[in-house]
Amino acid sequence: MKWNVGMKIGTGFGLALAILAIIGVVAYQSIAKLTDTADWVAHSHQVMETLESVLSTMNDAETGQRGYLLTGEDDYLAPYTAAQRAIDGQVKTLRELTQDNPSQQRRLDVLEPLISGKDGKFAELLETIDLRKDKTKGFEAALAVIRTNKGKNTMDDIRKVIDEMKNEETTLLKKRSDEATATARNASLTIIAGTLVALVVMALAGFVITRNIANPLREITATADRMASGDLSVAVTTDHREDEVGVLARTFSRMASSLREMAEVAGKIAGGDLRTTVKPQSSNDLLGNAFARMTENLREQTRQLVEGANVLGSSASEIVASTTQLASSASESAAAVSETTTTVEEVRQTAQAASQKAKAVADNAQKAAQISQSGRKSTDEVVAGTGRIRQQMEAIAASMVRLSEQSQTIGQIVATVEDLASQSNLLAVNAAIEAAKAGEHGKGFGVVAQEVKSLAEQSRQATNQVRTILSDIQKATGAAVLATEQGSKAVEAGAKQTEAAGESIQTLAGSVTEAAQAATQIAASSQQQLVGVDQVAGAMENIKQASTQNVASAKQLEVAARNLSELGQRLKQIIQHYKI
Amino acid sequence: MLARPLNPPTQSQGKLELLEFRLAQESYALETRFVREVSIFKELTPLPCCPPFVLGIVNVRGRILPVIDLKKFFDLPEKGLADLHHIILVGGNDLEMGILADIIVGVRSIPATDLQSSLPTLTGVRSDYLKGVTAGRLVVLDLARILADPKIIVHEEVET
Repeated sequence: MKWNVGMKIGTGFGLALAILAIIGVVAYQSIAKLTDTADWVAHSHQVMETLESVLSTMNDAETGQRGYLLTGEDDYLAPYTAAQRAIDGQVKTLRELTQDNPSQQRRLDVLEPLISGKDGKFAELLETIDLRKDKTKGFEAALAVIRTNKGKNTMDDIRKVIDEMKNEETTLLKKRSDEATATARNASLTIIAGTLVALVVMALAGFVITRNIANPLREITATADRMASGDLSVAVTTDHREDEVGVLARTFSRMASSLREMAEVAGKIAGGDLRTTVKPQSSNDLLGNAFARMTENLREQTRQLVEGANVLGSSASEIVASTTQLASSASESAAAVSETTTTVEEVRQTAQAASQKAKAVADNAQKAAQISQSGRKSTDEVVAGTGRIRQQMEAIAASMVRLSEQSQTIGQIVATVEDLASQSNLLAVNAAIEAAKAGEHGKGFGVVAQEVKSLAEQSRQATNQVRTILSDIQKATGAAVLATEQGSKAVEAGAKQTEAAGESIQTLAGSVTEAAQAATQIAASSQQQLVGVDQVAGAMENIKQASTQNVASAKQLEVAARNLSELGQRLKQIIQHYKI
Repeated sequence: MLARPLNPPTQSQGKLELLEFRLAQESYALETRFVREVSIFKELTPLPCCPPFVLGIVNVRGRILPVIDLKKFFDLPEKGLADLHHIILVGGNDLEMGILADIIVGVRSIPATDLQSSLPTLTGVRSDYLKGVTAGRLVVLDLARILADPKIIVHEEVET
C-alpha cells in the first residue's frame, strides 16, 4: 500500500483524536456523577431548610397566640394568622421533597397530625384564642387551657420529630459528599493519564511527519526562495518519491527548466534577437503565452518602431527644413513689420496733418456759413434794389410814353406849321399871279409876294428841319421806349433771377451750414481717427517686438528641430541593432 | 430869291409870266394869264359817268368846278401817290376848271425866246398841248388849246 502525505498525517492525528475521545468520555461521566451528587446535596440542604422553616412557623404561631392572650388586641394575632396560612404549604413541600425516602415519609406521617391534627398544636392554639375572645373571662380560661401543658407537650413532640428528620438528612448529606469526592478523584486521574498518553502519541506522530514531509518541503522552499531571488541555476533532487512531495519536486524541476528556457529567450530578446519563438507549456501557461505574445508584439512593435524611426527621421529633416524656412520667414516678416511700423508712423503723421486740415476746413466752413448768411442778406437787399430799379424803370417808361405823345403833338404842330407854310406859299403864288395880272402896277406887289413866298419857303424848310429832327426824336424816343420796355423786362427777369439767386443763396447757405456741421464732424472724426492711428502705431510697435521674439523663437525652434533630427538618426541606429 | 426882284423884268411883250408846278416828278408850267387862283385840293366830290381824267367836282368859294387830272389826260403812267395835291384854277373862253398839281413851285417870268417850240422826245398827246420847253426842261403847257379841246367840250355836254 502506498502511503501518501494525507494518509500519514491522518493516521497521526486519528490516534491523538481517539485518545482525546476516551479522555472526554471519562471526564463527562465523572462530571455527570459530580453534578448528580451535587444535586442530592442541594436537595438535602433544601429539606433541612424546610424543616427549619416549619419549626420557625410554629414558633411564630405560638408567639402570636401568646401576644394575643396577654393583650387581647387583635394586632398581635398577625403572626399567628400568617403561620396558619403558610404551614400547610410548607408541610406539603416537605412531603414532596422526601418522596424518595420512605423513612422520612413515615416521620412526616407522625409530624402532620401533631401540627394540624385534631389534637394538634394549631387546634390548641385556636382553642385558647377563641377563649380569649371573651373579654372578661377569656384570659383566665385560656390560661387554664395552657396550664394543662398540652400545647407544650405537643410542641416538644414536634421539635423531636423535626430533629430526627434533620439528623437523617445530615447523615444522607455526609454519605453523598463522600461519593462525590471519590468520583472527582477518579475523573482527575483518568484525565491526567489520558492527556499524558495523548501527548506521547502526538509527539511521535509529529516527529515522523516532520521527518518525512517537512524536510523535503524545506529543501524545495529553499530552492523556491533562490528561484524567487532570481537564481534559476538550482537543481532540485528528485528521489523518485511517489507522494505529493515527490510530485512537487519534479514539478518544481520542470518549472525551473521552463523558467530557464524563458530566461534564455528573454536574454536573447534583451540582446536584440527577436527571431526566437516561445512555445507555451500549455494553454494555461500565462508566462509562456505572455512571452510568446510579447516576442510577437515586440517584433511587430520593433518593425513599427523602425518604420516610425524612419518616418521620424524624414519628418525631422522636413521639420528642420520647415523651421529653417520659418526662421527666414520670421526674419522677413520682422522686416516687413518694421516697414509697416514705419508706414503706420507716416500714416499717423498724415492723419495728424489731416486732422489739422480738417479743423482748418471746419473753421473755414464756419466762416463760409457766416459769409453765406451775409450773402443772403445782400441778396435780400439786391431784391429790394431790383424792386426800386423796376419802379424807376416804370417811371422812365411813363416819361418816355409822355415824351412820345408830346413829340406826336409836336409833329401835329409841325404839320400845322407846314400847312401854314404851304398855304402861305400858295397865297404868295396867288399874290404873284395877281401881281402879274396887274402888270406894271403890280410889280411891287409881286416883289412882296415873292418875299412872302420866300418866307413860306423858309418856313417850309424850317418845318422840314423840325420834322427831320422830330423824326429823329421820335425814332430815338421809340428806341428809348423799346429800350425801356426791354429794360423793364430785363429788370423783371433780373428781379426773378435775383429772387431765384436769393433762394439759391439761401439753399446754398443751408448747404454751407450743413457743410460746416459736416466739416466739424469730420474734424471730430479725424481727431478720433488720429487717436485710433496712434493706437495702431502702438500696436504695431508691440507686433514689432513680438516679431523680433518670433525670429528668436524660430531660431531656437530650428536648433531644436536639428536636435530632433539628430535624435531621429540616433534612434534609427539604435533600432538597427534589433534583428527581426 | 431875294435878288430876283432886283433884276428889273424885261419887256412884257417879250416875256412870259409862268406858273410852275410839278406833276408826276416832272416840271410843268402854265401862263399866269389863264390862272385864276391856286389852292389846296380838298373836298372832292366824285362824279359818275365821266371820263377817267375828270376826277370830280370841287367847291371853291361858292363856285362848282370840275377837276382834271392831267396825268390821265396826257396818258402819263401812275407813279405812286403824290405828296400833296394842289389845285390850279384856270379859266378862259368862259370855261373854268381845276387842274391837279403835286407841288406849286411858284411864279416866274422867262423871255419868250427861251422857249423852244418843239422837243422831239415829247410825243403823243402831250405834243398837241405844248406851248414849248425851256432849257431847264420846264414843259410849258398851252392852256388855250387844252381849254379848246373837244374832249373837254364833250364833257360839258355830258355834264348838262
